[in-house]
Amino acid sequence: MASPVPDPLNPGRETRRLALTLLALLLLAGISWALAHVGLGAWSTPLAFAIAAVKAGAVALIFMRLSSGTTAARFALALAVAFIVLLMIAVVTDIQLR
Amino acid sequence: MATSSAPSGPFADVGEREEALRLAMFVFLGSELLLFAGLFALYVGYRVLYPAVFARAVGYNEEWIGSTNTMILLTSSFLVAWAELRARCQDARRAAWGMAAAWLLGLLFLALKFLEYREHWERGIRPGAGYAFAALQQPGASLFFTLYYLLTGLHALHIVAGLIAIAVLTLHLRRHPHDAGNPVRCELTALYWHMVDLVWIFLWPALYLIR
Repeated sequence: MASPVPDPLNPGRETRRLALTLLALLLLAGISWALAHVGLGAWSTPLAFAIAAVKAGAVALIFMRLSSGTTAARFALALAVAFIVLLMIAVVTDIQLR
Repeated sequence: MATSSAPSGPFADVGEREEALRLAMFVFLGSELLLFAGLFALYVGYRVLYPAVFARAVGYNEEWIGSTNTMILLTSSFLVAWAELRARCQDARRAAWGMAAAWLLGLLFLALKFLEYREHWERGIRPGAGYAFAALQQPGASLFFTLYYLLTGLHALHIVAGLIAIAVLTLHLRRHPHDAGNPVRCELTALYWHMVDLVWIFLWPALYLIR
């Protein structure tokens, strides 16, 4: 089983990686905010949630170190995310088909 | 003090025990995400039913508070990730500083949230039957703000729990800098804090941006 421990011999590289991730997250938040004020109409909702999904992915993969985590841990979180997506699809489908 | 150096319970060694702890935390985080997803599904459902009213209602939330809180949580997530890295490098002093900084940011998040609640309350923007906001009286408006209070209130409770965990951990790091269990303690606390951040990443556009 792969260990999710980062390379302790290279904390400088790991710190830079974390800092770059934070910068990317702040940039994406800025883009989200800017797009909300542009007035994209029907595209505003899918775009806002797409950017949120990218940000969530970055937090999960880099900050939570899921990219180097164990298969069991990835599976537990992936299963929860899959159930959430299924729930959202079911809710929207139910309302649209009424 | 090296409390985690010896194997305990059904585990062959400390590594196996830590793997089990990580897995348990991920299962717990998955169940927490599903809890928020239930409320979020309600939000999505009613947003589809009342798109115009929900879009107008979003405009009455304090966008600067929501946006500032987003920056605060993202930065605090970075700090706990960095603190965890320092703990893995056996640098408990810096790990404690990182956690303490994240704790302060979490407190600032709560202060801003309280400011927004107070402002809403004074304007009559209250949950359920208490809703008395004259500027937005269409069907669906009360629903939006009830969901707003439920989602942000539950999230704020998780912030409080995270702050308690971070405070206990910071004190432990200061008092027992050589405890072999520090890295895994930091890792589990950091994972919880990142989950709180993950939830807010979706609440921010839903409650403050999408009009």
